Amino acid sequence: MSASGLDARVTGQLRYAVDAERPGMLHAAFVRSPHAHARVVSIDATAVGADCVALTGEDVADLRRYGCQVRDEHVLAAVARHVGDVVAAVAAPTPRAAREAADRVEVRYEELPAVYDPVEAVEPGAPLLHPDGAHSAGEAVSIGVRPLAGTNACHRFRLVHGDVAAGFGDAEVVVQRAYRTPSAAHAPMEPHAAVAEWEDERLTIWTGTQTPFNLRADLAVAFGLDEERIRIVGGTMGGSFGAKTFVRQEAVLAALARKAGRPVKVVLDRAEEFVTLNRHPSVIRVRLGARRDGSLVAKELDCWVDTGAYADCGPGVATKLGYAGVGPYRIPHVRVDALAIYTNLPPNGAYRGYGAMQSIWASERTMDVLAAEVDLSPLELRRRNLLRDGDRFATGEVMHDVQFERCLQAAADAVDYERDPRGKGLCVLLKGMQTPSRAAISVQRAPVGYVIHTAATEMGQGMRRSLQLLGAELLGCEPGQIEIAAPDTDTSPYDTRTTSSRTTHMMGRALEEAVRDLRTNSNERGYGEIRNEGGLDPDSGQGIASTHWHQGAAAARVTVDEETGKLTVDHLHGVAYAGRIVNPEGAALQNEGALLMGLGTTLFEAIEFADGQVANANLSDYNLPATGDLPTRFTHEIIEREGADVHGLGETVLPPVPAAIGNALFSLGLDVAELPISAERVLAAVDARRERS
Amino acid sequence: MNVALELNGRSVGLECEPDEMLLAVLRREGLRSVRATCGIGVCGACTVLVDGEPVSGCLMLAALSAGRRVTTVEGLSSADPVPRAFVEAHAYQCGWCTPGFILTAKALLADNPDPSEAEIGEALGGNLCRCGSYVEIVAAIRRAAAELAGGALRQ
Ligand code: FES
Ligand code: FES
Repeated sequence: MSASGLDARVTGQLRYAVDAERPGMLHAAFVRSPHAHARVVSIDATAVGADCVALTGEDVADLRRYGCQVRDEHVLAAVARHVGDVVAAVAAPTPRAAREAADRVEVRYEELPAVYDPVEAVEPGAPLLHPDGAHSAGEAVSIGVRPLAGTNACHRFRLVHGDVAAGFGDAEVVVQRAYRTPSAAHAPMEPHAAVAEWEDERLTIWTGTQTPFNLRADLAVAFGLDEERIRIVGGTMGGSFGAKTFVRQEAVLAALARKAGRPVKVVLDRAEEFVTLNRHPSVIRVRLGARRDGSLVAKELDCWVDTGAYADCGPGVATKLGYAGVGPYRIPHVRVDALAIYTNLPPNGAYRGYGAMQSIWASERTMDVLAAEVDLSPLELRRRNLLRDGDRFATGEVMHDVQFERCLQAAADAVDYERDPRGKGLCVLLKGMQTPSRAAISVQRAPVGYVIHTAATEMGQGMRRSLQLLGAELLGCEPGQIEIAAPDTDTSPYDTRTTSSRTTHMMGRALEEAVRDLRTNSNERGYGEIRNEGGLDPDSGQGIASTHWHQGAAAARVTVDEETGKLTVDHLHGVAYAGRIVNPEGAALQNEGALLMGLGTTLFEAIEFADGQVANANLSDYNLPATGDLPTRFTHEIIEREGADVHGLGETVLPPVPAAIGNALFSLGLDVAELPISAERVLAAVDARRERS
Repeated sequence: MNVALELNGRSVGLECEPDEMLLAVLRREGLRSVRATCGIGVCGACTVLVDGEPVSGCLMLAALSAGRRVTTVEGLSSADPVPRAFVEAHAYQCGWCTPGFILTAKALLADNPDPSEAEIGEALGGNLCRCGSYVEIVAAIRRAAAELAGGALRQ
């Protein structure tokens, strides 16, 4: 709220990470490799000017490799592994002077062979990106990382359930298909931005990040410091969607500030955003076996997940992608093999949906192919196989609070699927929430009301509002009497991170404990902590993938102009299971936002690369959904259940959108296996149908 | 150079380079609602009103604002029905794009006090919201139109 009593978002008073400033600060610009794979031979920074500070390899010789799941990242790259890899940096009195000085840094490179496709990258003889082997990141990792030595695979996730060979032996019908998804930009409106400052050998960074504590841990590794010597203050973000996670611009900025002896700020420009962190491209092969009556007996998934030049959280993404691809079905025999693979593309990381979209696209498209083979309605085929309460999922977990059928039926009803399924498509999904993880929160009495300290971060998802509403309910006060302090690793209790749609669920429960603590011990400050145990064994895929499941569905109704290939989505409907809704307006906005991002993913969003260069690194050539892209009917619903827990829903309805639309096309005989579904791909599908008939 | 203009109702002189864009100069003045995002005039996050017309601050030379009337959301009255309608319709998530949408909406409603949804959609072609709050944004503009018309609208 501002002085006028209006929300600071409408008065222009809201400050974001990009607005952070420190007295006496300089501005940074990065020197980036124009080559996809090249050794830096020499750097000449003598021309930067007397009032500038240049950071080159020798300045970071004492710094170590870091990485949230694999320690394979360098503060400055001595070998550039993607176009845009940072090889040097400059600080100057103004942003413009910094840019000009960075352009005067001369770098000589020796080019190396490069690879841009995840399938090619694991073939024998492919150029290796990290030939010295990637080091596992130890305790910071939430999953066991299984690199394949001597290859570009930094992680292999396998899931084995039953005996898949025997299962296919029992199958009366088998379908096999391959699918592709491209890279995509998170494109938060606010770019990555941060200020770094050293004082008494202590580093403080003001930055827009979803992961303050993970960032602190990684920087501690890189700089060889105790974590307590690093302070991360998280600013409000103008969107993130996974882009602002782990270490991005912060490590090189901190090294530059160390050398300059002054605070330094950086704000990335739009082109730099496209080489900072993107979504994992994938190739997914699905084999699905069933009895004539449609009961599923066996499923195999082979997944090539392109994590780009550095692993980042690619091992985690490959894992979630792998098990989400099994789908919310009872299948006695399952085998999943998912590789996270280095290529010479910019790093890929967490992206709203965390890999689930890619494998759900493949898996749910295949369901409709099978439905046609066994002559069942796609809705009926799904119904016959959906997991129900008490069933075991392929990870060995017993399912509880299962709502898949409700979600699917709601989606089907929204488009009147059962009356006439032509031009319509459905998709149902299962997605896990990060395990293991920990969330802690404190609530303090203030002169008027309360102050909540949490490391949960605000990026537009409404975390603050949700915590105020939950807090008000628990404390018996008005939401406006609760202040949510900025995330600060010096004062906020530990939180794994604000990802995986886990915050409302985890923090809500931690807050209940904190309020109980405040009351029972009649302290000034109550503390609550929730741990979420679990994790999957990377070699068998058995264990606890999730303590509660994100469940949802989507339905689409489309028309196609077969002359031009123009695909029109007449109706898109998303369904998310929320357990219990905390913040109805916020939940609706999140649901619509995820649905719309899913629509962009389906219809036109793709980063195009030419020899590792981004060919569309601006918001004119890379299209984002605008008002005019809203489908004629754009609807959604959030399903609740009496007495249920609060479930997160920031991501749920994005992953099912591509398959719902792809299946709508398939109902018209148009078979598209690669995203986005461009007019060219529709036309190719029209031609293919003509040839078949 | 120094450029004299009317900024949010006050006569001011702004120091700037001859080749500097209005966006950079306004931010330096502390008007942080004007936000660098795409830099090429397609997203609308740097929108300001120049003599009442929406203009991309990232494309307009600051020097060209000399003698003109420039408005940002910082200059709107707290009684202005447009930002109020955005609050009432919950027409934002992160809020980054909101000032640009509000100013575009103000210009639209000044020209066309009773826009249809299609007309609103057309007017918003140059404003992007990555959080995807469009349904509520369109509703906010309809609400503001109703407010301005005292409830007497065709829809
Ligand atoms: S920053 Fe000016 S229109 Fe996007
Ligand atoms: S509300 Fe985040 S970009 Fe519009």
